Amino acid sequence: MSTLTRYSAIPYTGPAPTNREPFVPVDAPKMDARGADLAGRLRVEQERGQDLPTLVVEKERIVEVLGALKHDLRFTLPLDLWAVDYPKREKRFDVMYQLYSLDNNERVRLKVPVDEDEAVESSTTVYKGFDWFEREVYDMYGVRFDGHPNLRRILTHEAFQGHALRKDYDPAQRWLCTEKDVAQLIPKVDPRFENLDTDFERVTLNLGPSHPATHGTMRIVVTLDGEKIIGADQEIGYLHRCFEKSCETHTYQQAIPFTDRLNYMSAIINNVGYCMAVEKLLALEVPTRAHYVRLVLSEFMRIADHLVCIGTNLVDMGALTNFWYLFQPREEIYGLIEACCGARLLPSYTRIGGLAVDVPPDFLEKAQRLVNMLPKYIDDVEKLVDRNKIFLDRVIGVAPISPEDAIDFGFTGPCLRACGVPFDVRKATPYLGYETYDWDVPIAEGGDTHARYLVRMEEMRQSLRILQQAIHRGLPPGPVMVDNPYVALPPKEKVYNEMESLIYHFKLIMHGIQPPVGETYFPVEGGNGELGFYIVSDGTKNPYRVRCRPPCFAIYQAYGRMITGQTIPDAIAALGSLNIIAGELDR
Amino acid sequence: MPIKRVAPGVVKVEPRKLSVSERLYLPQVVAGMFLTLRHLLKNLFNLKKLPIISYPEVKRVYSERFRGRHILTTREDGTTRCVACYMCSTACPAECITIEAGEDERTREKFPVRYDIDLLRCVFCGYCVDACPEDAIYMTRDYEMAIDTRARAVVGLRDLVVPPNFPVEPMGWRPYYGPLEKKGTAGGTGLGQPLRQAPYPDEAPLNPDIFRGA
Repeated sequence: MSTLTRYSAIPYTGPAPTNREPFVPVDAPKMDARGADLAGRLRVEQERGQDLPTLVVEKERIVEVLGALKHDLRFTLPLDLWAVDYPKREKRFDVMYQLYSLDNNERVRLKVPVDEDEAVESSTTVYKGFDWFEREVYDMYGVRFDGHPNLRRILTHEAFQGHALRKDYDPAQRWLCTEKDVAQLIPKVDPRFENLDTDFERVTLNLGPSHPATHGTMRIVVTLDGEKIIGADQEIGYLHRCFEKSCETHTYQQAIPFTDRLNYMSAIINNVGYCMAVEKLLALEVPTRAHYVRLVLSEFMRIADHLVCIGTNLVDMGALTNFWYLFQPREEIYGLIEACCGARLLPSYTRIGGLAVDVPPDFLEKAQRLVNMLPKYIDDVEKLVDRNKIFLDRVIGVAPISPEDAIDFGFTGPCLRACGVPFDVRKATPYLGYETYDWDVPIAEGGDTHARYLVRMEEMRQSLRILQQAIHRGLPPGPVMVDNPYVALPPKEKVYNEMESLIYHFKLIMHGIQPPVGETYFPVEGGNGELGFYIVSDGTKNPYRVRCRPPCFAIYQAYGRMITGQTIPDAIAALGSLNIIAGELDR
Repeated sequence: MPIKRVAPGVVKVEPRKLSVSERLYLPQVVAGMFLTLRHLLKNLFNLKKLPIISYPEVKRVYSERFRGRHILTTREDGTTRCVACYMCSTACPAECITIEAGEDERTREKFPVRYDIDLLRCVFCGYCVDACPEDAIYMTRDYEMAIDTRARAVVGLRDLVVPPNFPVEPMGWRPYYGPLEKKGTAGGTGLGQPLRQAPYPDEAPLNPDIFRGA
């Protein structure tokens, strides 16, 4: 490396990325110790050198191990279940589980090696939340789960052939789904209402996929007895574009615009989450100025996300005025985002290693103006609906979920906090410097639509608190991009005038960023909950696997159960309050 | 909303307890009407400050970073700056740029004989601008790209290339802001093509839907 830096025009003195050597996380020794402790207790094998305690479990023992982790070691929150395909290995697939312990604030990752013709025992008996996740793995990889109550495709349609995330699947294939391929979806009637003795005829009703109240393409099928919903089922996948496969066929930088389209209501948070995951893999020291701007824009995006959620939720309940009051500041927030990066909804502002471009000179004034104007609009909405009995009657006690159920379903974010569980990734594993700000995690009781409204309103105020403190601290001086030609494009002045920089520029565009071999997981608090990116690198310019942990996915699978026993208007109110974003749900 | 601190860093939001008058629907409905009436009066007396843009008569003013439709810049001698190096089409995550390179017989320099951007595929991420080593592609603030056929969405050299010394100030996303010294090839020798000749055949039809800046 020294030969390169000697005549380099770029003041970079660090090592070249050693992309053929394995990635070793900073906290690997600590995680190894904890992993060894867990592995000893559960009598399973351990994988060392990971960023989380990682256990390797045989497929026969997975339900037993998960049960012990849940009941004895208090890993109650099922965060994610996904798989990775390694065609050359003896056992082709790694089915991965990630659990979180709310009591001890720690995570654990489980790996279950499975071969193509083998089946894993379904973990839905332990964690209800893994129901849809197992269906997704079945859909994307063809791994069967024995004992799963409803193992069919979830993201792709009935006429789809093959399994899209397998390495040997050609992404250029297209499958036509016609009307006759579609199986009729008739929801199972809840046992509580099986013997309901009413005079009404049972009716099956389709809500969506294209319905003004669903705010996105998702289909809900309900069985009605009179006005009461006695069975409900949800179908998703209408917006599925296989984001994870697209990432595998593109370079690390090229995946950033794709992340915009996950939760498009708070796109910057997705950008930040993805970039920070790759930066963790590259062990990059990102400039504080970039981190600062990321934090400020993330908080503005969170507010925008909640503004849309509450605004549209109230519109669904007939309160149109609030929608106008809340969308006005949202427009202004998007104005700020546009001034920074030139796009309103889909910014693609962050880059691996920092930001695409520095913020405009009047960034802080604009941010301060927004922080000054936002409370007025939030207060107006609060005045309109907070003591309005019409609104309260529509939301109190509607679609409640108990804290135990919410945790078991893998809820995170405002929907979990509305059940009284104070879990927030920004507090649990702080990133971007959230620990240096004075703010509180709002919780509420009841877990109903009203509690979710209360939590979101208060979260906007807490975000404003963070923003006000951040603005008082001021923009840290310095660059917004790392000074590393293997990650960041050199400044244009050098590209036009120096051969060295032009070569680096060319190398980076053509060969991309090549992180070391390894895997990592990085969670951020998205608008709806924990948004995590799990990335496997094989040392080439394309990610081997990108897994996005979608918060909506876990939340939406409980929706059918939440609305059973309620009425159709309640179901609409509840759907709005869960803030399901189809772009993230279907990926 | 009443707020109670339950633990360090955790606050509990409690639902408001309703008073007797609040429990009777009417007073709160009237209070709400007063709030909307206040907004109405405020707007009536401040018609100029209404948060409304009467599009298309009035258009939103976007920042100088706006990522709109692309243009290809031209050297002072009239030749296009693009040297058909394929960097933009490599960096493009949407794979919307198609380039065919030609070679000048005299100088052996490359230039594009075909440069197509499919605006329906384009995601307007600005990666092409970042990737260009020749200062050749910029994005404008033009966002009105409604078309009536899919074929029209593909814009070529005829639609993208702008005349020399095209003003940079009304541009959107660009490789650098402010003055910048260019000593290298980006300034352009312009030897790639015959002087003062447009890089596209004259008979190529003009796409009527596309804004041409000037």
